[in-house]
Amino acid sequence: MTLPGWTREPLVHFLVGGALLFVLFAWTGGNAVDPSSRLIAVDRAQQAQLALQFERTMSRPPTDAEIDAAIAQFVRDEVLYREALRLGLDRGDAVVRRRLVAKMDMTASAAAETAVPEEPTLRAYFKENRARYSGATSVSFDQLYFKSEAAARRALATGVVAGDPISLPARMEAAAPGEIEARFGETFTRALAGIAANGEWAGPIRSGFGWHIARVSAREGVEPDFETLAPRIANDWRSAQIAERKRRAYQVLREGYRVEIDR
Amino acid sequence: MTRVWSRLALAGAAALMVAGCESAPVDDAKSGDGEGTIELAEFPDRPYWGDTHLHTDNSVDAFGFGVRLGPEEALRFARGEEVTATTGAQAKLARPLDFLVIADHSDGLGATRRLYDAPRLRVVAQGDDTLLRWYDMMHESPEQSQLAIAELITAAANDELPAALADPERQKEATTEIWGAQLDLLDRYNEPGTFTAFAGFEWTLMPDGNNLHRVVMFRDGSARTRQVLPFPGLSTTAEQLWDYMVAYEESTGGKVLAIPHNSNLSNGLMFELTMPDGSPMTAEYAAKRAAAEPVVEVTQIKGDSETHPFLSPNDEMAGFGVKGWELGNLPLTAKTDDSMLAGNYIREALKRGLSLEQQLGVNPYAFGMIGSTDSHTALATGDEDNFWGKHTGNEQANTERANQAQNLGTREGRFGWHYLAGGYAAAWARGNTRAEIFDAFQRREVYATTGPRMSVRVFGGFDFEEADWDNDWVRKGYTSGVPMGGELTDSGEAPRFMISALKDPDGANLDRVQVVKGWIDASGELQEQVYDVAWSDPEERLMTGDGLFPVGDTVNREDATYTNDIGAAELRTVWTDPDYEEGQRAFYYVRVIEIPTPRWTLFDAARFGITLSEDAMANAVAQERAYTSPIWLKPRA
Repeated sequence: MTLPGWTREPLVHFLVGGALLFVLFAWTGGNAVDPSSRLIAVDRAQQAQLALQFERTMSRPPTDAEIDAAIAQFVRDEVLYREALRLGLDRGDAVVRRRLVAKMDMTASAAAETAVPEEPTLRAYFKENRARYSGATSVSFDQLYFKSEAAARRALATGVVAGDPISLPARMEAAAPGEIEARFGETFTRALAGIAANGEWAGPIRSGFGWHIARVSAREGVEPDFETLAPRIANDWRSAQIAERKRRAYQVLREGYRVEIDR
Repeated sequence: MTRVWSRLALAGAAALMVAGCESAPVDDAKSGDGEGTIELAEFPDRPYWGDTHLHTDNSVDAFGFGVRLGPEEALRFARGEEVTATTGAQAKLARPLDFLVIADHSDGLGATRRLYDAPRLRVVAQGDDTLLRWYDMMHESPEQSQLAIAELITAAANDELPAALADPERQKEATTEIWGAQLDLLDRYNEPGTFTAFAGFEWTLMPDGNNLHRVVMFRDGSARTRQVLPFPGLSTTAEQLWDYMVAYEESTGGKVLAIPHNSNLSNGLMFELTMPDGSPMTAEYAAKRAAAEPVVEVTQIKGDSETHPFLSPNDEMAGFGVKGWELGNLPLTAKTDDSMLAGNYIREALKRGLSLEQQLGVNPYAFGMIGSTDSHTALATGDEDNFWGKHTGNEQANTERANQAQNLGTREGRFGWHYLAGGYAAAWARGNTRAEIFDAFQRREVYATTGPRMSVRVFGGFDFEEADWDNDWVRKGYTSGVPMGGELTDSGEAPRFMISALKDPDGANLDRVQVVKGWIDASGELQEQVYDVAWSDPEERLMTGDGLFPVGDTVNREDATYTNDIGAAELRTVWTDPDYEEGQRAFYYVRVIEIPTPRWTLFDAARFGITLSEDAMANAVAQERAYTSPIWLKPRA
């Protein structure tokens, strides 16, 4: 892909941001400078900005000649930039497009990345998303392992004595599903959920290792506790905020458009 | 036009309506090492799974390759949340990890992102043509950006980086800011008992492209880690890194360790018998190294470093994950010849360690083993059916990635199928906290897998017997022996090992368990031997003069499936060294081999309907494995 050189000019990048501010001021009734106007005003503030920029890159203030050159460059870029916009050169250029999109998203989410929510905000978020935190049900159970399904059935029918040896815990106390899954795998954890918590041997149920019979003595919903979960809630809230801000900023814009899609 | 711009302004306004910010409050338990925060088991009771080697958009190369996910997404993904990958797909880890070390490159931390975001004028003003060219390439297209980063890595390897990227002083302000933000984030995500977030970085010394990289991992929270900055690698030496680590420990009271990796790409430099300058190794140097580097990363996306068929001609299982990586150093600017292999592979290093210990009284290469991903996608995926690629240019959207030439820079020599899906680190710890898991690394009670999560236990001692399995054998193991990573003193009797390997609950069955022994014989020669000590279907599979009967192969090459009709759920044995001789200096580690399963390349072929090249197809099925840390047998003083 070849790019017109001007798309790499810093001032294009700068002025996109600048244009945002200009229009923002125009829109809020401030000092109006329309990027499509034929007037280019290089006021004191703008000149100071140019001088500062020079100083940042060169680590020294510009001389008078240099500031004049910077102003001339600014005017030149501004003229070409506006003409480029008039010609619609910003359109259909994947790089300009992607960069602007990314900047918009970044602008919308930046503040949320470091925002610190008040506790009531977090409590409200916690309340709204309670299901997300109360999903865990702890289970207390015993299990015996068998290499074959037939052996497991036989053990159930004849009254249990012992299973085949394997390095799996014979009993787990108030274990969270994640803990059970880490040790016994997904298939077993799902099957265990179907066994009534009545303290009686049941099964056989399958695992990645073979067959098991299990007796569940207790199953308790873990009551989510705000204090314990607060840091995680804050993380989740922050992530949700970032997504929400992007969504909202987009929504505001999106409402200004009518989209027609041929199917 | 005006209308469009005023709409854009509206978004700007919406974005400005946000709350003010201050630094996030974090309680002491989370900003520390986690000691005293949760109830601990009496003995380590399960392996905790993690990745110690993950890159995010703060890494110079990862960003250039295209990743746009940062540390926060990396943490969320590792702990089981769904995130949107850089290329747009939704990604969620089927089984969350227990811990994560974010290991972004210390050199130019965040530099490519800052370069990319900088106005071009500023880059022009730096007066560096190379930097400007990379800047333009990064902006031109993802392909050009990857090419620019390949050049950047080669330049780093050849010590030709532009000053703006190479000079730590010029990076300091940005590094301080990024490091601080990252430490805060890690504290926020660190949840003792549930998920451990470690601070770390990657140190990337690479003389002439020969890989001497280390991941550095801290035990502590931000209260201590904030007192230092990640140590730059490009213009320093390993000894300077160890000095930095010692200084950190002395000034903060914290703890830190380093994990060498990709020794397979070091062209013999990682595990030398001498000092880096070629002079004889000193005891002081060996002791420094041993103290700083208790663990080595044996397997990851860029190949496996256990051993090579050239070094271990009698090991029929040698050669896993070496193809492509045995050709040369990291950027393939220098070829590897056979004489360099001994310094590249870990089994040989463990042997060299015995020899050095005999001469110097201290073993610089007495390390435990772990696996990790080295993923540059911010996604810690280690499973074959879930490979997200080494970098985002190769996320799953690139369906031809298995067949493509992938080498950095030259695009010759290495292909997509040479890459592994990654590995994981397992730590036997008493609970999931920074202190417990770090300490497991420190005492080498850790092991590596090439991705599957099999539980492997080894105890070494002198009085184990088969009957111990019927009782509380774990207690017996800890009370009358030592776990993996430990040391035994010669008792005049052959050492015994109590070994249990339990398959991944959601993975493939096990083929066999092996013990790899290395020792110095009476004439001072280094020797090695691989013993098959337990295997599935022992009644059917007999040991012959040629070794053990193969386990079979159930992989369907058309649809990338396999069955667990062969193999075993658990293999265990009490094994006594049949070749023990009194006074022998030796190490023993366990290698667990799974039945053959499809590699990520075969999953790609089935999923995307592509035809693998002949070479790729020949390598599309493999036997995944675990490597435990060794147990050393030392002569009586």
